[in-house]
Amino acid sequence: MRVTGVDRSTGTGGQPVYLLDMEMSQRYRHAVGSSSPFYRGLEEGVLRATRCPECGASWFPPRRFCPVDMTETAWYDLPGTGTVTAATRVHSPPPFGGIDPPYVLASIRLDGVDGGITHRVTGSETPKKGTVVTVTFIEEAAAHPLLAIAFSVRRGEA
Amino acid sequence: MTSFSGDTVLVAGVGMTPFVGFRHDASVRDMVAEASRTAVADAGLRSTSQIDMGVAAYESDHFNRQMSLGQVLHDTVGLAGKPLVRVEGGGATGALAIRTALMALRSGEARSVLVFGGETNGKSVDRATATEILAMSADLEWETPVFGTFAAPYALMITEHMRRYGTTAEQFAQIAVKNRRLALDNPLAHRGMSITVDDVRSSAPLSDPYRLFDASLLSDGAAAVLLATSEWSEQHSPTFAARPPVAVLASAAATDHPRLSDRTDEMFPHFAAKRNAAAEAYRAAGIDDPPNQVDLAEVYDSFSGAELQAYEDLVLCPVGRGGQAAAEGRFDRGGQVVVNPSGGLLGRGSAVGATGIAQAVEVVSQLRGEVTGPRAVSGARIGITDTHAGVGSLCVVNVFARAA
Ligand SMILES: [Zn+2]
Repeated sequence: MRVTGVDRSTGTGGQPVYLLDMEMSQRYRHAVGSSSPFYRGLEEGVLRATRCPECGASWFPPRRFCPVDMTETAWYDLPGTGTVTAATRVHSPPPFGGIDPPYVLASIRLDGVDGGITHRVTGSETPKKGTVVTVTFIEEAAAHPLLAIAFSVRRGEA
Repeated sequence: MTSFSGDTVLVAGVGMTPFVGFRHDASVRDMVAEASRTAVADAGLRSTSQIDMGVAAYESDHFNRQMSLGQVLHDTVGLAGKPLVRVEGGGATGALAIRTALMALRSGEARSVLVFGGETNGKSVDRATATEILAMSADLEWETPVFGTFAAPYALMITEHMRRYGTTAEQFAQIAVKNRRLALDNPLAHRGMSITVDDVRSSAPLSDPYRLFDASLLSDGAAAVLLATSEWSEQHSPTFAARPPVAVLASAAATDHPRLSDRTDEMFPHFAAKRNAAAEAYRAAGIDDPPNQVDLAEVYDSFSGAELQAYEDLVLCPVGRGGQAAAEGRFDRGGQVVVNPSGGLLGRGSAVGATGIAQAVEVVSQLRGEVTGPRAVSGARIGITDTHAGVGSLCVVNVFARAA
């Protein structure tokens, strides 16, 4: 923390006003914890979800314990396809950077699991509800590991 | 109802600061003290010494740059020594604080509770910092990496609403116009404006179809309400007999999956938790025909389209008809239910921890008939407040009523 400036001015009622310019910065070492196998999967080119051995419910985003019965889940691979529920073109970059605006963002229901993801769809067209998309693994180093993937509209289905 | 019983929870006093872009002359503790002082004076009290308990409402240590702020505020308003609860519920924080006070009063744990909330969401935090902090309101692990502005999930919801029901961007732009216009008559509002649908549609794009004027304001501000049993009010509040008492008739909260992508296709364009909270609040308040029984509603218009969705989920109009209702001005001044007479988050502004309390201040002032001029909702008997966290992950609906 540091104080970088002081502003002495006068309020609307003529009262003294005193403003401090302060700087703080936060740095974190964030454990993704039980999602670690998912992130390893991204590096191996596979999208992973979890399934409950007790009730059979499947979860994406993956969950370590089934919220229904608190049983520890098991990992499995997803086909990487899904269907768009809704999409929008976003005009500002995401917080960690890595995507130049405008970009297309969609809520996607994933095949092979009772769950979905909100993620980027490549290209400039905003897909309609029901559009089938496939995960694409991006080669270059991403600003955030979750941006190592994006979704693409299947050829001929735009 | 004609009168309230001794254990009915009444609003004994209300107060709020103006909501502004930057209070260069006041810290968050100063603002909470201003609002609390007004609320206490409104109850006819000279101090907080007779008050049993405090409930502090604020969302963000990052925006307010003070951890354990609750104790600081509690001490600032003269309640040090008394019990305190700090409440956080995202955008619903202030309303949830009122609900928490209501529970303390109904349980008999307290007979009077001062609820005070404040936030410095305005320009004391620079734009880049504010953007970074607000991005953490989404799921940091699964959403924040792909979108940084809440315009995005709100846009996804309204896009599906448009597809399913034929709702148009011009319809929700009319809400942006309405609330900014209503704010012109509220001296405490952050920024009333006289704008047109064209102005909204030609403002900077945020996340299609939403544009800058569809988005609400980030403000500095504070608000406070003194809740007490009818018995306590009669004993301690000199202003009790001077005006018709206003009761907190009901309060309900409900939750939903925070991530949009976890919600069902069926409910995707709707606030399921808002619908559930409203149903429970109406049941508890004995309201079976909301559009004809509710006189005014302070609604969480974080984005213009969210107000249109709220018309439906608060049962003020049928599902899918929110756009049409907005276009017809059904919930404008003079309408069937006046929605956001204060100007809402779009015009009065939003200082998160204070917002749900400021809504209550507006509703109570209207029910007492203390609002004068064009903003007055004359003869109002029942008013509700509606707030939510995230995109409806936690919804709180509070119902207020004036004794006949
Ligand atoms: Zn299970």
